[in-house]
Amino acid sequence: MLKLENISKKYHNKSVLENIDLEIQAGEIVSLLGQSGSGKTTLLNIILGLTKMDSGKIYYENEDLTNVKMKDRGFNIVFQDYALFPHLNAYENIVYGLKNKKSTDSKKELKEYIDFLELGPHLDKKISQLSGGQKQRVALARTLVMKPRILLLDEPLSALDGVIKESIKERIKSIAKQYQLTTIIVTHDPEEALTLSDKILIINQGHVSQFGTPHEIIHEPNNEFVKEFILKQLHIKRQNIFHLFGEQYA
Amino acid sequence: MPNIKLEMKVIYLAIILLFSVFLVLPMLALFYRSFQTTKGLELSNYINVLANGELLTAFMNSIKVSGLTAVISTVLAFMIAYALHCTNIQHQYKSIIKVGILIPMLLPTITYGFAIMYSFGNQGLITQLLGQPLFNIYGFNGLLLGYTIYTLPAAFLIINNSFMYIDKRFMVVSKLMLDGTWRSFFHTILRPLTGAIGGAFVLSFILSFTDYGIPASIGGTYSVVSTQLYQVMLGSIPNFSHGAVIAILMLIPALFGVFLLQYLERFNFHYDKITEIEMVEHKGRDISFALFASIVLIGMLSVFLVMFIAPFLTSFPYNLTFTWNHLINVFQSNDLIGVYKNSLIVALFTTIFGILIAYSSAIINARTKIKGKGAFDIVSMITNTLPGMVLGLSYLLLFNNSSLKGTFIIIIVCNIVHYYTTPYLMAKNSLSKMNPSWETTGGLLGDSWFKTIYRVILPNSWGTVIEMFSYYFINAMVTISGIIFLVSAQTSLVSSKIKELQHFAKFNDIFVLSLLIFFTNLLIKLFCDYLQKRRSLKNI
Repeated sequence: MLKLENISKKYHNKSVLENIDLEIQAGEIVSLLGQSGSGKTTLLNIILGLTKMDSGKIYYENEDLTNVKMKDRGFNIVFQDYALFPHLNAYENIVYGLKNKKSTDSKKELKEYIDFLELGPHLDKKISQLSGGQKQRVALARTLVMKPRILLLDEPLSALDGVIKESIKERIKSIAKQYQLTTIIVTHDPEEALTLSDKILIINQGHVSQFGTPHEIIHEPNNEFVKEFILKQLHIKRQNIFHLFGEQYA
Repeated sequence: MPNIKLEMKVIYLAIILLFSVFLVLPMLALFYRSFQTTKGLELSNYINVLANGELLTAFMNSIKVSGLTAVISTVLAFMIAYALHCTNIQHQYKSIIKVGILIPMLLPTITYGFAIMYSFGNQGLITQLLGQPLFNIYGFNGLLLGYTIYTLPAAFLIINNSFMYIDKRFMVVSKLMLDGTWRSFFHTILRPLTGAIGGAFVLSFILSFTDYGIPASIGGTYSVVSTQLYQVMLGSIPNFSHGAVIAILMLIPALFGVFLLQYLERFNFHYDKITEIEMVEHKGRDISFALFASIVLIGMLSVFLVMFIAPFLTSFPYNLTFTWNHLINVFQSNDLIGVYKNSLIVALFTTIFGILIAYSSAIINARTKIKGKGAFDIVSMITNTLPGMVLGLSYLLLFNNSSLKGTFIIIIVCNIVHYYTTPYLMAKNSLSKMNPSWETTGGLLGDSWFKTIYRVILPNSWGTVIEMFSYYFINAMVTISGIIFLVSAQTSLVSSKIKELQHFAKFNDIFVLSLLIFFTNLLIKLFCDYLQKRRSLKNI
């Protein structure tokens, strides 16, 4: 279980996050949803340990991580456009971290990850030869082999188009399920957040606007912001889809 | 891109003609001359020059001192760029470092030598402060110091620029993958910068190898290629054929260097995106790098300190009373003010016509479909290879009997060609990034091609034009190697005058003239920066 208590952060005297409380259960997928500048990425970086918070506490399994350094927290992240090393090929990227981690049964596990993410045919390719979806899967593999206690994903779908987007969504869900991996996702897209996660934290101007399941957010919106900026978008999309297929598919 | 129009062809042909006459022909003349003897074309000039042990020694000396300079400059430049990009040193202090390290660029290299003499010589300012001379400045040590000061800014610009395009998120990834310090440093900094570090090394080497100003002032009896070349051409017994051979030999390392640069290009990284991250807090690292940068900066600038003091003292270092006399003397001397005016005229015309030519050729290359537009890329590669001395010498050989000899025009053209590469690439980069359908849009809205360029293209590249302006102007003010063979008594420039004043030991005049160049360049630089700032404010 990951627990955030009263987290606040200021940049140049401007408050970015104020008194954020949050509890995430093991194996849950949670999305941090907000517009650009809402503070969602800052919160992700604070959990990761990259950004220092001004006040507040972080606990993982009742262990106080507040002053634990990034690399000792055991969390890991996949960045928005993957940050794969361009001078190494796909395979070298995947095993990059293994060279720092001596463990005995890692060979077999490595193969498991590669098979699970269907990366076998692409291992010898240069990063520039991979498609967006393949890059995403290589980045996931590189991160998963490190066996993170929590997986953080920064806008994992924004660089992907159409069909690939849906398949990566399924992939993320199955990873969380297969490995019982707590996953935290940053996104600005309500549809993505609501269809991908168990729970959603909606952030508006550094404050928690609502925290709940997709069902709760759709049916019991907490306030005007959630209605105006989150639900309205989904309603318009629904309208458009209905128009295309006809009302009988509602 | 618009269809080919007559006016594009005219511009294209005009610039091609210019480079044919002032780049291709002089080079051919140089080659021809190096093989020419009273008996026809043969190799005897080369054999004579190479059999002469003196030149071989000079050649080896040049390689030795330039090689060591390149190592030192590259390491220093890297560490300072690292201090700017990978530490939490205070923002204001970083700006000071960034600006301070470029200051030597505002001065001619020949001034460096005299500043070193007056700082580290037996009676020098720094020697006096320390109580004893640190080292013998004439020869190897002085050259090494001078070349390092000369090449550090250029090496720094290359590495610093590449540092800006490194995606810093990789440092986070590396840390999360539990990398140790060295593995992390290798994969996130050193490997992405390999191309730039190599580039800085090669450039430092070529700059030192081909510079004339520093060895002319402080070389002493330690002979290097450029001083040999000068002696052979303008010494007591001029030998143009041997000069041509030495010039060709001087070209070889430069040529080699440019190919090496092309090769190093492959090591450059192309990140999809550049992200800044917060650097981990580490007081020890910040303090040591701040200290290191300060020492380099102060060390470098302290050499020039004397230049601002000596001319205002009656007779440094013996009579230290304050006086305006030296300054007044210079301003009352028609001769000295005359050369300053000459320098201004040359710099101004170099800048105006240089921008016109570089910008036009960049437009032809980046925004038209004219056949053979790639010629300008080849020209820019050649001009990048050519040391100023070699270019100047080839002009001397080709135009010696023409009416161009001893005119400002030949000096201005030489500067324009000599410094063509950088402004051309600046313009080409910025023009090729603009939306390719602007000319078509302009045409559909009723503009002629020229009118679209004037109304759309030019306003969107003002920033680049301003950069080109300061590059051409400052370089034209400080160059000595390019013009040393071309100046006459009537067209003498400040940098060549300094060389002359050296013979009469008029060091106060040398420093006052150097100060004039320095403040003129500073003014231009500040003015250009101000224009850039005003532009960027307007755009927000």
